[in-house]
Amino acid sequence: MAVREKASRGTPPAKKEKRGMTLRRRNTLIGLSFITPNFVGFFVLNLIPILFAFWLSFNRWDGYNPMEFAGLENFKYIFSHKVFQQAVIKTIIYTACCVVITMVLSLGLAVLINQKLKGIGIFRAAIFFPHVASVVAVAAVWQMLFQKDMGLINEVLRFFGVTDVPGWFASTKWALPGVIVVSIWKSMGYYMIIYLAALQDVPTSLVEAGMIDGANAWQRFWHIKWPLLRNATFFVVMMLTINSFKSFDLIYALTEGGPGTATTLLSQYIYNQSFVSWDYGRASAAAMVLFVIVAAITLLQFRIEKKLDN
Amino acid sequence: MKKILSLVLSGAMCLGLLAGCTSSTPDPTAAPPSDPPANQTEAPSEPANEPAELTGTLKVSGWDMEVPGSLFKAVIDAFTTANPGVTIESIDIPAADYGTKLSVMLNGGSEVDVFWVKDADTIYPIANRGQMADMSSYISRDSLDLGIYNGQAEDFNINGKQIGMPFRTDYYVLFYNKDIFDEAGVDYPSNDMTWAEFEELAKKVTMGEGVDKKYGAYFHTWQACIQNWAVQDGQHTIMDTDYSFFKPYYEMALRMQNDDKTCMDYGTVKTANLTYTGVFSDGSVAMLPMGTWLAATMIEKINSGESSVNWGIATLPHPDNVEAGYTVGATTPVCINSASSNQDLAWEFVKFVCGPEGAAAVAGLGGVPALLDDDTLKTLTSVDGYPEGALEALQVKNIVRDRPVADKVSEVNQMLGEQHSLIMLGESDLDTVLADMGEQSKTIQG
Repeated sequence: MAVREKASRGTPPAKKEKRGMTLRRRNTLIGLSFITPNFVGFFVLNLIPILFAFWLSFNRWDGYNPMEFAGLENFKYIFSHKVFQQAVIKTIIYTACCVVITMVLSLGLAVLINQKLKGIGIFRAAIFFPHVASVVAVAAVWQMLFQKDMGLINEVLRFFGVTDVPGWFASTKWALPGVIVVSIWKSMGYYMIIYLAALQDVPTSLVEAGMIDGANAWQRFWHIKWPLLRNATFFVVMMLTINSFKSFDLIYALTEGGPGTATTLLSQYIYNQSFVSWDYGRASAAAMVLFVIVAAITLLQFRIEKKLDN
Repeated sequence: MKKILSLVLSGAMCLGLLAGCTSSTPDPTAAPPSDPPANQTEAPSEPANEPAELTGTLKVSGWDMEVPGSLFKAVIDAFTTANPGVTIESIDIPAADYGTKLSVMLNGGSEVDVFWVKDADTIYPIANRGQMADMSSYISRDSLDLGIYNGQAEDFNINGKQIGMPFRTDYYVLFYNKDIFDEAGVDYPSNDMTWAEFEELAKKVTMGEGVDKKYGAYFHTWQACIQNWAVQDGQHTIMDTDYSFFKPYYEMALRMQNDDKTCMDYGTVKTANLTYTGVFSDGSVAMLPMGTWLAATMIEKINSGESSVNWGIATLPHPDNVEAGYTVGATTPVCINSASSNQDLAWEFVKFVCGPEGAAAVAGLGGVPALLDDDTLKTLTSVDGYPEGALEALQVKNIVRDRPVADKVSEVNQMLGEQHSLIMLGESDLDTVLADMGEQSKTIQG
């Protein structure tokens, strides 16, 4: 309102109405100009490819020749494909482990690091560092750490008397746990920062009131801080779920989906279908399945959040 | 919203269709074949109707072209020296990414005119997409005799279309470390040895313990380094759906790895990312069955002082039912992009690099050209740095393709690779995995 008054100052009253319209239009244009770059980018780089992939999932396409309509054939194929079935199960296991463990650890770290200590910045930076580090470099280092015969981790296990050390990336049983460990280590710092910010938003007056009432550290955390962290937790869990479901680069760099198909998750399966078999139809069908799973879980999370809000 | 959706969909479809029908009309500016020779320079073996001076620019893609000793660079240089009017623009792609990058490039309608194909299993899919031009008309126009390639040209004839020309041929031989054999006081491997004899020999030259251990043999982590010996007799291919013929060779490899400990453990090699060049050139393995391409690398490593291994070459050990000289290999084809607008000039390049001049350039660096005769073999084995006796060791009677040029080969190959690791890691029982391989292969091949 103030803006409009300021703008209309010194103009003849007859033109006031018209001027107001232009101003509104101008504001709309300004608003549009702010969202246009983002929307154009989203439209060209995300929306069109997504819709195209949706269409592709009902077609046979090698990426070069004209497409052939295939109906539900791609879906039939992937659902009967053993590797795909296993990939879905492994993706769910991977996501469940990553979400729960990462959330608990990042919250724990945030609580620990939320203190006035000398040089706390160094600790925060150190924990945040894996998130910034290059995936390929991280993978190379962890491959060495997890090496079966000479790796540091197995050396430590042997020191503590474990004789039958796991083969890690050279074993179908241990490859997935190994990948989960690296993934948690890599993303922990990022979610810790989110929790840290939320923890610092908790009003000290509430915590102090709790102290006066005789609540111990655990009670203060559980009854005062944890409920106030709900928004942060919602965000963390949602982002973790989405990111875990689409995890690709780290696993590709660590194991390329092996040994056998032990760490072939959905995204790796999609990659194999498109860039080994050059079958974009099947790849898109698998991508649609991934999309539906992620969308369903995200919607469910929103529902739960809403319910808790009420 | 519905309207927008349908617009977007049809737009995307149109784009896809457009990508599918890139024009392939020949460039009218390409040199006409009937020009009389103006200033005859080099290349005396060219036919008389050859245009004297070719002009234009060609985009050529290959891998690791800047690596010292690159055969691609050698033949490109030879071509531009013979045809100073032609400019070659090289598209150099790292070897590990070549297969994927090439397909993405071709799908994207790249202007590349000529390309080499690295992995045999990717030839068919590219040809099947119609991205390789048929060279038959050029071959008959220039009355080129494909018989000189000893049957290798036929491998690239798919449904009557000659989609590639054989450029170089690599086949498996046995590399060995003379120092280890001398130290063990054992005779060097002979050019006529069965796999059973190879297994026994490996026991005799395995020495030491721990980090200083010298292994009698080394099988690289590729499935080819076991499965190839099973197809070596030419009775089976990896496209069979009953894989019981793999069994004796897997049993041999597992015995050597787990019981005799005469070859490095698969899990160690895989997780430590060891390379066959690395373990052989640092002198920790006595015998390495590997492709002829390793020879040029070894010469380079010795010359640059990176390795001081005293190495030798013997013929690949053979199964009981075939004689020595039966080996497994692959021919690298050079192809013309069907979307290229410069196909006439591209053909001149292909003809040159696969012809006598190209073969000479390849052999001059110690590589094995597809156009191979006794003289060429002599030339290449007399390259400075080739070990003594290489000429005899490289004699072949039959080269079986390690991966046939056929539909679904890349999918089957990928699956066999996954299953191979399960066997070598001892994750599953051999018979179970072999049965599973058969099932999966059936599903893939439909």
